[in-house]
Amino acid sequence: MDPSRAASTPSYGPPGDGGGPAPEFPAGLRVLLVDDDPTCLKILDRMLRKCLYDVTTCSRAAVALSTLREKKGWFDLVLSDVYMPDMDGFKLLEHIGLEMDLPVIMMSADDHKDVVMKGVTHGACDYIIKPVRMESLKNIWQHVVRKKRNELKELENSGSVEEDDKHKRSLDDGDNASSGCVGNWKNAKRKKEEEEEEMVEEHDDSSNTKKPRVVWSVDLHQQFVTAVNQLGVDKAVPKKILELMNVAGLTRENVASHLQKYRLYLRRVSVPQHHSRFDAHFASAQEVTYNSIGSVSGYDFQALAASTQLLPHNIAALHSGPRSATNTGMGVSAIDQIGFLNSGKQVTNSSNIISSSVQQINSRQMSDIHGPSNNIELNQHGQSQQVVQPFGSINRQFGEGTTKFFSSPSSELTNFSLPRGTINGQPNNSLARHMNQHGQQFPISQQRSNMEITWQGQGLPRSRGQLLTETACHDSRLVSALLQQVPSNNIPNHVSGGLETSANMLTSLPANYMNASCSTSPQALYPDVHNSFITGLAGSCYPRVSSIGATPQTGSVKALSNSSNLKGMDNHVPNYDIIAEQHQNKSQDWKLQNVNLPYQSGQNLRHGQSTIDCRSSLMGNQDSTSSAKNGFNGNAGTVVKNIISTGSDTDKEKRECIVQHKTNLVENCNRVTYDGIPDFSYQDILFEDNIITNELMNVVRKQQQEGIEQVDNEFNFNPPV
Amino acid sequence: MALHFSSAHPISALHPLLCFFLHDTYPEMEYASGLQRQLASMKKNLFDQGYLDEQFYQLEELQDESSPNFVEEVVTLFFRDSSRLVANIDQALQKYPQDFRRLDNFMHQLKGSASSIGAAKMKNECTSFREFCNKENREGCLRSFQKVKKEHAVLKQKLENYFQLLKQVGPVDKATHSGN
Repeated sequence: MDPSRAASTPSYGPPGDGGGPAPEFPAGLRVLLVDDDPTCLKILDRMLRKCLYDVTTCSRAAVALSTLREKKGWFDLVLSDVYMPDMDGFKLLEHIGLEMDLPVIMMSADDHKDVVMKGVTHGACDYIIKPVRMESLKNIWQHVVRKKRNELKELENSGSVEEDDKHKRSLDDGDNASSGCVGNWKNAKRKKEEEEEEMVEEHDDSSNTKKPRVVWSVDLHQQFVTAVNQLGVDKAVPKKILELMNVAGLTRENVASHLQKYRLYLRRVSVPQHHSRFDAHFASAQEVTYNSIGSVSGYDFQALAASTQLLPHNIAALHSGPRSATNTGMGVSAIDQIGFLNSGKQVTNSSNIISSSVQQINSRQMSDIHGPSNNIELNQHGQSQQVVQPFGSINRQFGEGTTKFFSSPSSELTNFSLPRGTINGQPNNSLARHMNQHGQQFPISQQRSNMEITWQGQGLPRSRGQLLTETACHDSRLVSALLQQVPSNNIPNHVSGGLETSANMLTSLPANYMNASCSTSPQALYPDVHNSFITGLAGSCYPRVSSIGATPQTGSVKALSNSSNLKGMDNHVPNYDIIAEQHQNKSQDWKLQNVNLPYQSGQNLRHGQSTIDCRSSLMGNQDSTSSAKNGFNGNAGTVVKNIISTGSDTDKEKRECIVQHKTNLVENCNRVTYDGIPDFSYQDILFEDNIITNELMNVVRKQQQEGIEQVDNEFNFNPPV
Repeated sequence: MALHFSSAHPISALHPLLCFFLHDTYPEMEYASGLQRQLASMKKNLFDQGYLDEQFYQLEELQDESSPNFVEEVVTLFFRDSSRLVANIDQALQKYPQDFRRLDNFMHQLKGSASSIGAAKMKNECTSFREFCNKENREGCLRSFQKVKKEHAVLKQKLENYFQLLKQVGPVDKATHSGN
């Protein structure tokens, strides 16, 4: 593969590519320039020509896209404005990433961090702030070289990845044959593409006649994405997608190739940017933007592995990952959207993926759990155990993420989330495993489940039935439900234990939902936590389980099936679960906010140990420092302490989190359940940021879950079939 | 000076003659140097008063034999396009209720092109307009837009004068080159 690849690279390809770079290299670089502003277009055109590039200009994104399609393989680089009337630059970016995998440089006079981050997370290789100067264009050729090099690396790793993908898919759905085909096809397709590229270099025309090309218009792509989302990204098989799309003239192969590219795109969007930014995140959390979270998740694994501080198995799990890669990608996209409040298909996709992964994990974990973790108290509910593990991981993730988020102002919060996100990913994995190993922790989880989160809706506990229904519903419904709830929640007053609102957030899977909640009322997000915890003691175990199931539900049909299992346990259970998850998430977030502390302690005392425990378990992950100390059975007193400590520690936590993770990873396993974090306090904090952070958290959580799940699965089960 | 006039030095001896000769052959030269000074000071003022920033130099660097009037072309293009945008914003401001998002988009475009030619003052006004826009402050927008329009008009006038002067200097410039 490598040799052929090297041969196919253009003559000016990067050194080490096979052929050395032509001496005139950057000269003649074929650049497509897209800008709706004629003045900028003229200036940039001139500048690029001064750089001796071969420039094609275009004032409309749609035209640019069709030009790119017509002359596939011709262009080396795309330079695009962000704001264009006919098509958003990010949309163009997405299409380019999807269809031709060209390096794209975005430019805009808008230098807001979130917009820049959006560009990066959407796969732009660079973001230039206008006015553009010659100096910034002189070196853009490096992106072409870098891209080629990355592709090379990707190719080297691609074999195993594809196998894993295939394997995973075959595990997931019964459609082994088709998924296998896809995998094989993928390989074939790649080679074909490379050949094609080569051909294009030599004879421009031959490529188009080689095979009939379907033009994936925006509408068609939309249909495709809808179908994929419906099926779940991981489970989507060309044949089924084709059936769902029901478009005349479209062949399975067309869909398959597009699906492949779409998957690659999702992965690419998440993974590549992280490397460069990771360090920055760590160094200065503030600088990091929301998007970074997504990137972090992708990046974390590697970074952690590099640090060697990670547990060996964690690392292995991380590495194992084609899945993780996809997950991260998914997560990233979701995050991006969340951050920007844009509703994204990608988000939904990610949710689907998550759900599927969750399902897999559950099944796998079930087996695992039974083995190592017989101790689990949750035993009452066989399912719950399974759930517990995911929860544990989730909790940690959330806790960490939330703490960071909350403690800092909005911008900082987001920043923090990133580093943690990465960190979390690994810890989660470790946690999940640990959970399995240590049954002791499970009791805590049960307590958590006990915490029934009532909808904050003005302190009135929402009927579980509502929650259930909502959760059961697909993302869209969830979103709507959430939205409704949110407004009602407006009460900023007291944090009651219930993190219900957060639950909504948790469900947040769908991008739409995210958006909706944000738009409606940030305040709503901070629901008053009601003491509702009490409600669910009996069901407590279930909730956890259900929560696990719940996530899947939102994402995908399979998830529903899982949840149904849970339901068997208790009718309410599914709802609880969802809520529980939400609680956890929110609680974490809230914890981050110091304000909550007093409330929490008070509430905890009232509610008694049970409530405390639940939260503590949920929260525990977050407060690594405090959690370690806490006794998991969590007397109320202990819980309170934890809360307090967390409050004071929040700052520390932020800093420490990263460091702690390394050490904590092992410890966390034990701690996870124990750490009681006062989730309740959140309500008081009405910051809009919280909402965003919540959403982010959710996304992160999902990602992490996915990542964890995947890791676990791979790690434990790697070679099934 | 005394030394100069002592005819010991051959070049000094030639100097008056040379001057006369040049002046005779290219009578516009002195006039041109005056124009050039005027042009230079006009340009300096544009920078000193904040109308232009160094992005304008970027444009000048892009001008060469293959496009000798590049800067002027770009500036002309800018004013043509920005006038359209200003009109659009004007219209959008008349509408009620205010579509701040739309306004912001227009202003973003205007700001983008203004900044790309180095129209610093205009760019700043655009920025403050967008701030009002984000606060959905209609009054602020209206006030700010008046400033944008004013800066737009002033800059247009100044640059028109500048390029007019540049054109007058231009041919002289060539003559000077050929003269040498």
